[in-house]
Amino acid sequence: MSKKDRTSSTLELRGVSRHFGPVKALDGLDLTVNPGELVALLGPSGCGKTTALRIVAGLEVATSGELLVNGERYNETPANHRDMGMVFQSYSLFPNLTVSENIEYGLRARKVDTDKRAKRVTEMLELVSLESKVKAYPHQLSGGQQQRVALARALAIQPRVLLLDEPLSALDAQVRSQIREEIRRIQLDLGITTLFVTHDQEEAMAISDRVGVMSHGKLEQIDKPIALYNNPATPFVASFVGLANRIPAEITAKGKARVLNQKVNISGSAEVFVEGEKVNVIIRPESLELVSESDANATRGIVALKSFLGPLTKVGIAVEGAPLIHLHISSREVRKLEIGEKIAFKISSDEVMAERA
Amino acid sequence: MKKFTLKWPLIITASLLAIFTFIVPLYGAALYSFKGNGGKGHSWVNYQWLIHADGFYPSLFTSLKLAVLAAALNLLLMVPTMVYLNLKGQRFKSLVDFLCILPLIIPVVSLAIGAQVAMPKFLQNTQYELVFFFVIIALPYTYRALDTSLQTVALKTLVEASRSLGASWTRTIIRVIVPAIRSGITGALFLTFALSIGEYTITSLLHWETFPTWTVVAAQQNILGAIAISVFSFVGAIALLSAIALFPKRGSQRVEVEE
Repeated sequence: MSKKDRTSSTLELRGVSRHFGPVKALDGLDLTVNPGELVALLGPSGCGKTTALRIVAGLEVATSGELLVNGERYNETPANHRDMGMVFQSYSLFPNLTVSENIEYGLRARKVDTDKRAKRVTEMLELVSLESKVKAYPHQLSGGQQQRVALARALAIQPRVLLLDEPLSALDAQVRSQIREEIRRIQLDLGITTLFVTHDQEEAMAISDRVGVMSHGKLEQIDKPIALYNNPATPFVASFVGLANRIPAEITAKGKARVLNQKVNISGSAEVFVEGEKVNVIIRPESLELVSESDANATRGIVALKSFLGPLTKVGIAVEGAPLIHLHISSREVRKLEIGEKIAFKISSDEVMAERA
Repeated sequence: MKKFTLKWPLIITASLLAIFTFIVPLYGAALYSFKGNGGKGHSWVNYQWLIHADGFYPSLFTSLKLAVLAAALNLLLMVPTMVYLNLKGQRFKSLVDFLCILPLIIPVVSLAIGAQVAMPKFLQNTQYELVFFFVIIALPYTYRALDTSLQTVALKTLVEASRSLGASWTRTIIRVIVPAIRSGITGALFLTFALSIGEYTITSLLHWETFPTWTVVAAQQNILGAIAISVFSFVGAIALLSAIALFPKRGSQRVEVEE
């Protein structure tokens, strides 16, 4: 199966809401996934990302709003007539069926004839590199293999949209990274429109064309991973995507604040702060740098923590009147630093984001 | 010094109790069923009497027929109901649980007379009315067998996976749910069959002749024959149990997993 076999679809959600009594699980979600694009919905538990995915799959009914596939309204279409391939967190392979029977399940439901079914199963097994497991039962496979079968099963029906509901969460770190790359390879190869739900930002950033960050049922921001990281639209996005320090500060003038003995500019926040107001500024670890103790603008602290992360080491600095502040320092340089040692640092970025304290 | 534990004395006591209360009487019954005329010697005479006795085959076939129908009707009624209750009808579960326990609480006489009056006219005065009674008395057991089985599988996810692949509800139930809860269905099937084939009180109250009612009458004519009947019934039940237990189960063999 190649790109030519499939027409990529556009998926649109227009003002989609889902209320459970007084709880707004999804609150007016607007989202467009372009043909062949992989969009990830990222957010903490309970932010509504899975509800959105389930509404697209037809497993949940939207309280209001519209769901469109290639411009056609899908709200009333039952799940079994939507042509959406879904991969679940818990694999959900049918335990009584072999790998090949699992893959051809959707084709049987569509009454595809035997020869075509067999051909498609072979193609799918090749795609996920599981040709040798054709007659195995799900319990005879590892977690990674089961998830690859689940992916093959979802793709076998040539879905309009591929839906991935935290498909890597149940796998261990090494397998997760391997399957993640495999999903992206297959998605690009087939050019299939994909909506991917995850709470793992590394996963979302690594394989998505665009990432939508959700909070309290709303889409906070949707953009390319790098743009999301460098130009977060809201304090929530800034603190949720990547590591961020929240440091107490005071507004000194419109658009300006004093933080850690330093004057900084407040970047494009929708919120307007008044002079003298206490705020928290959000600063990424890489926006802080070690300086000489003689620097007049430097903030002084004590090394309280060192976490080795490979090429970089996360250093936690205890500063009076602020929570533990984290910096990323090259692991080669960090060898010179000892826990309890006095250290000076300052903010290297001109602009920071602020939120009300 | 080796620590004294109660494990082995308890196992030995339990085994002895089982031997004296279960195996010895059965052995005794089997021995007596092979006694010859006048209780002397050993022969097949009691079994020969049994298979040539008036009403043996008709009553046995009636019981088998009704038991099969009751087991089938019970599954047709209970499998979709239990799937619905576990999938979408959680709030009705305690009510249905209570309703299914009622056959154990309501006296059999009230149940027989009350339910017969409520039975559709075309079923009254036919032996098939017994099928509905057998289904009712098996409800407490089938409910539990199916419920326990359904709670051990990821029902919601399996159903959602099946539906998202384009399967109808019927296909989902037959191809996914039924195989997943096979042990519960087998248990429910056996319990209904066993209860139906051995049911005496309601059948007797409604004046129908099935294998249990025929047995009571026949046993009054030949005491050793009656013992042969009980041994025959027991062996039949064991054979049925074994057949169910040995029925091949797909995908049950475990092998080494390699990444």
